[in-house]
Amino acid sequence: MAGRDTHPSLLALTSSALLLPAYQQANADAPPDYTTLGMSYSRYQEDDTQAGRTVGGESIERYEIDVAQFYLLAPVGDDWSVALDVQWEDMSGASPWFVGLDDGDAKVFMSGASIEDTRTTVSVNTRYYYDRGNAGFTYTRSDEDDYESDAIALDGAINSADGLTTWSAAVSASFDDIEPTQGVTPTNTLEDSKDIYGAFLGVSRIISKRAILRFGLSYTYRDGFLTDPYKLQDRRPDSRKEWAASAGLRHFFTGPNAALHVDYRYFDDDWGIASHTVDLAWWQNIGRNTQLVPFLRYYTQDEADFFSNTPDFNDRYIADDYRLSAFGGITTGLRVRHTMGNWTLNATGERYTTSEDYGLFGGDEAPALVKYWRYSVGFDYSFR
Amino acid sequence: MRVLLIVIALTALAGCASEPVQPWERGTLAKSEMQWAPDPLEAVLRDHIYFSKEASTGGGGAAGGGCGCN
Repeated sequence: MAGRDTHPSLLALTSSALLLPAYQQANADAPPDYTTLGMSYSRYQEDDTQAGRTVGGESIERYEIDVAQFYLLAPVGDDWSVALDVQWEDMSGASPWFVGLDDGDAKVFMSGASIEDTRTTVSVNTRYYYDRGNAGFTYTRSDEDDYESDAIALDGAINSADGLTTWSAAVSASFDDIEPTQGVTPTNTLEDSKDIYGAFLGVSRIISKRAILRFGLSYTYRDGFLTDPYKLQDRRPDSRKEWAASAGLRHFFTGPNAALHVDYRYFDDDWGIASHTVDLAWWQNIGRNTQLVPFLRYYTQDEADFFSNTPDFNDRYIADDYRLSAFGGITTGLRVRHTMGNWTLNATGERYTTSEDYGLFGGDEAPALVKYWRYSVGFDYSFR
Repeated sequence: MRVLLIVIALTALAGCASEPVQPWERGTLAKSEMQWAPDPLEAVLRDHIYFSKEASTGGGGAAGGGCGCN
């Protein structure tokens, strides 16, 4: 039987899905040695719409979003841990309402009044660690002015006897209710709901003293009201089946004292959308206490079968939402981490840009594609 | 067929050839910068933002709760 001391940080694979809490990167077979907490504040500002692509010919301010995050992870006894994640989000600004033709060009009409919304998400997890793995249960509650979500998840991981391979699996369910805020123009529903069911299977493998590889597959089924209630020209199917396959590599280079992160995801669904995502990061150690992390992300997606800048209302399904169009996105950024005793401070800046020209898939370019700047600062503290 | 291919790929990865790495040789793998998500809050935030701007999600774990942002 493999002892806990012999498996340094073989991580569970469940680390990057939507809103998964921070504790999910716990060791596969041992609870944390001490309590840690972290806080972070982020602000991101979407670029104004382009004047030439906006009805009326004037650029309009889009969302400005503030996010505060907190997490606490604590060991309980020899075999358990508990974790708490909280996220507050406050957003204000204008949002795309519909796309219309203006002198033959597709242009976006923005919501007139500034939209205000707040969102609070609380996630609680308990996790049991056994000799060769762990199992966890998570409950997540998300509250917005017009949206509520209750989600549960079960996950587990188990190491092979030699500790070189870790298998992971997870299932989840989310039950969501929406009650759109009513403005001058009625939304396309007064009250509705949707359910989301997910399953995940993954495996990671130590391939050398300095490299580890992983692979994962997830399936998500959405059932219910999937239309965007705040879009004028939006009528979507009431179900969606999604598949995603992912692969990741972590490789440490002794010479430069740095680690390379490579992640890839392929996504496919029954709405006609497919996408590729590549994430690269270089974790450069500088001395014993500082890390510089430049990162680059490339994303490209195909458009939904029913997406059009000029939807035909006779069609069963319609959408002019830029998020369902074909486009490519590039993120570039830099993260800095500095450790002082039990404290680790961090700061991040990034730029996200999108264009139909960046994409690998052809389609109509949506006039409301979004770009933004983001800045984050935060710290972690360990009770060692 | 799609699921079958994935199962084959997962099985191949689990059994793929790799140099034997003894437990006492895994110190480098335990470094913080070698973890899948060394900054958990950063990873959660990025996934949430991308979910609100793009049409794809998932692949790295179980799906989380829904959001009015998309």
